[in-house]
Amino acid sequence: MIVLVVAYLASTFGIAHGSFGVQDVVLVAAVFAILAVSLDLAAGMTGLYSLGHAGLFALGAYATTLLNTKLDWNLFLLLPVTIVGVGLVGFVLGFLSLRVSGLYFAITTFIFTLVVVVLLSDLTFTGGLQGLAGPVFPDFPDALSFLGSSVAWCVSLSLLVTIVLVWSIRSSPLYPVLLAIRDAEPFAGAAGVRTSVMKVAIFGLSAALAGLAGWAFSFLGFISPGQFGWTISVNILVMVILGGINTRLGPILGAAFVSAFPVVVSIDPFQQELILGCIFVLVIVFFPEGFMGISGNIVRHIRRQSADAVVATPTDETSVEPIAYAPLAPASANATVESADIALEARGIVFGYTKGVRALNDVDMVVKRGNIHGLIGPNGSGKSTLVNLISGQIAPNLGTISANGHRIEQLSAPARAKHGLMRTFQTAVLVKELSARDNVTIGLYSRFPQIAVRSALWPLLPGARRDSRTMRERAVDALSSVGLASNWATTRVADLPHGVEQLTQLAAACVANPSILILDEPLAGLSSGEVEQVSEILRGLKRDGVTVIVVEHQTHFIFEMCDEVTVLAAGELVKSGTAAEVRSDDRVREVYLGL
Amino acid sequence: MLQVLLSGLAIGAIYGLVAMGFAVVFYVTRVINFATGQLLMVAIMITAGLAQVGLPDWLAIVIGLLASSVGGVLIYFIAVRPVLRFDRFSFAWLVSTLGVAIVLQSGAAIIWGPTSRSFPSLLNRQTLKVGPASITWQEFAAIVVAVLAVVGFEIFRRSTLFGKVGMAISSDPEMASAIGAWVTFYAVAAFAIGGLLAGIAGVLVGPITYANPYLGDTYGITGFVALMIGGIERPAAAMGGGLVLGVLSVGANTFIGSQASDWFPFVVVVVVLLVAPHGLFASGDALKRLVANLGNRHALAKGARP
Repeated sequence: MIVLVVAYLASTFGIAHGSFGVQDVVLVAAVFAILAVSLDLAAGMTGLYSLGHAGLFALGAYATTLLNTKLDWNLFLLLPVTIVGVGLVGFVLGFLSLRVSGLYFAITTFIFTLVVVVLLSDLTFTGGLQGLAGPVFPDFPDALSFLGSSVAWCVSLSLLVTIVLVWSIRSSPLYPVLLAIRDAEPFAGAAGVRTSVMKVAIFGLSAALAGLAGWAFSFLGFISPGQFGWTISVNILVMVILGGINTRLGPILGAAFVSAFPVVVSIDPFQQELILGCIFVLVIVFFPEGFMGISGNIVRHIRRQSADAVVATPTDETSVEPIAYAPLAPASANATVESADIALEARGIVFGYTKGVRALNDVDMVVKRGNIHGLIGPNGSGKSTLVNLISGQIAPNLGTISANGHRIEQLSAPARAKHGLMRTFQTAVLVKELSARDNVTIGLYSRFPQIAVRSALWPLLPGARRDSRTMRERAVDALSSVGLASNWATTRVADLPHGVEQLTQLAAACVANPSILILDEPLAGLSSGEVEQVSEILRGLKRDGVTVIVVEHQTHFIFEMCDEVTVLAAGELVKSGTAAEVRSDDRVREVYLGL
Repeated sequence: MLQVLLSGLAIGAIYGLVAMGFAVVFYVTRVINFATGQLLMVAIMITAGLAQVGLPDWLAIVIGLLASSVGGVLIYFIAVRPVLRFDRFSFAWLVSTLGVAIVLQSGAAIIWGPTSRSFPSLLNRQTLKVGPASITWQEFAAIVVAVLAVVGFEIFRRSTLFGKVGMAISSDPEMASAIGAWVTFYAVAAFAIGGLLAGIAGVLVGPITYANPYLGDTYGITGFVALMIGGIERPAAAMGGGLVLGVLSVGANTFIGSQASDWFPFVVVVVVLLVAPHGLFASGDALKRLVANLGNRHALAKGARP
């Protein structure tokens, strides 16, 4: 780590003494590296494909230049001003455009760049199409003049700050959370992450870094609207993709390649443009994973070959064998039944997806603490709607829901997770490129303080390393508590069999020690051995005093496992009572069991 | 006032045709072809080039339109079809079509040079008096063509089997292909029609702008803005957006100042995006529904195992 920083500073020292020609190329590349790294934070990690980075970059550069040359503000005062100012613009832009969707976000940010460029071209005080001469960065005082060009140091340190910040986030427990926001938003929300706030915050941070890039860029000479057009936004995105999206080094390599390209291939500008356009298309068509993806594949290939050579049995065989379950952890004796007898109570719930049609009509459901409560009914009876209402994916039109004595029907899904309410989804949607263990740590997000804020400097903070380790250990414990042997913990979810993926999801819900756990069709697609495994897990949870609500179609399983059962049909409550009562009820037999 | 309205509708018809070029492609394939403006430019440049070497105007125009349609299809095969299979980077087409736009623009600048050249004046010489106002026959033709394009498209979409299958594909391509629709064919047709509409817009506007490799950028962006104003979901809404934008721009030029049409479209689109994110003429929350669909499809593609 320290070696890297020293090497980085040494190369900066070299460049600061280099010729103007070299400095020019390297410094522009470094500024674009800041932009590419900041865009990778938004696009690669969080899935926010911003085309607004050129516009934000322009705001940073123009703000610095104008405030310095016209109003005489100090350049070092302008550093925080620019970062905060552009960050705020990004915040507002994100807030307005993330209301709808990812595509809408890309379009809105694209238009943002167009607007910024038009304004810069048409306003008089921005110098129109000609642009402005940037401010002069002060030279080092004599005592430090051995360091060489001060601008080189300024740009280089800006890039270093950006890299440290983004790499910290990558190494922090926030990283799996961001990937979950990108790939599995409901899962992240159910784990207590306020996904929309997080997206706006990440884009704001990314915008602030683009502002920093603009600040640094203004010292490199003239700035004009032509340097910040929409093609630049696409350029930055191409840098990220070309180098390797969502990798540490990829965006930096991409920025170096694309910036150095016109210098190395010095031909007339039209041909340059033409070739650059061709590169855009070729990269996205043939190398969507970029340099890092290609080299990663090669490395993996070589490793696999050598592994094959050494170990005669290929690793693939394990997937053919039955899943290796670890023995379940013995019941812990902390089954403290709290005084309040009722864990969750939903009263008079009315909900319709469209006006007039009621998916749920005046439904009550009372779940006793420590019980396993089944929720059954024919397809379309409103089971999933009811659990979505309870877990906060949607809000009821009428009625009250309380969990552990708190009214929760007005709260968002993440806020309910903090009240000890966790859930799983019918089909597990996890982050495919992360290991099972890292996916499970997402469930711990709400259990550790200030992860989001601390992530910016994670490796440098006291206690952070310990927290990381604790989270990993708890995740592995949770995986073994659902019966997954430790070798699954480090396997990527993409390579997991379906049953193990479902159990991983269950582990992610259990890891945060929920007091109420909702399982939406936990048996979907599981083999009979795996069903037995889930039954075992449910008994274990019951022993631990967790209240469990199970939505399931396998009535055999429901009546065997559940203490009480609620039956819905066509949005109405049919019967609620103990398993035996419900099973012998005539109406239940008529509407559901078909006996 | 009438003059503003007429001139605005005429230029708005051009914007609207480009916006429809975007929207038809989007309607069937859920892809925004960012090189649509450059297809307009291709039609203009080829028509101008051929007319200059002595081909009759009508033949030059036909070849120009053919070129923009074929160009659309080529874009589909080169830059769109290969990238639709990635699920990791769901907006890959955004980068690849923008890349094509850059290639076409700089290619045209290399072939024809970056300066403007003449374009056949067609119907631009004769003017048509409408009360106190007057427009050229060329402008009148633009309005007529725009109306025909919308009406024709709607009739086609609603009343022919071909159009209905297109609707089915747009709402669920997997289902549509399961019932036997040839999805690739519809995608190709959409890109061809999109290119054709952009080309028509080019031929209509060429006599006013002359031929220049950078027209694609100008009209592509304005057409895209019109698309966002009208609503991305329905081609007819896109045309509506174009007409609104045209009238407002000409109004701004007349009442604010001659530079206003540079920045005014962006003011309009920002206001529209803030007030009605799905466009002025969108039915309900079309874009939202669509993107929710995209998301679902995305999740499906990612292998939510059955």
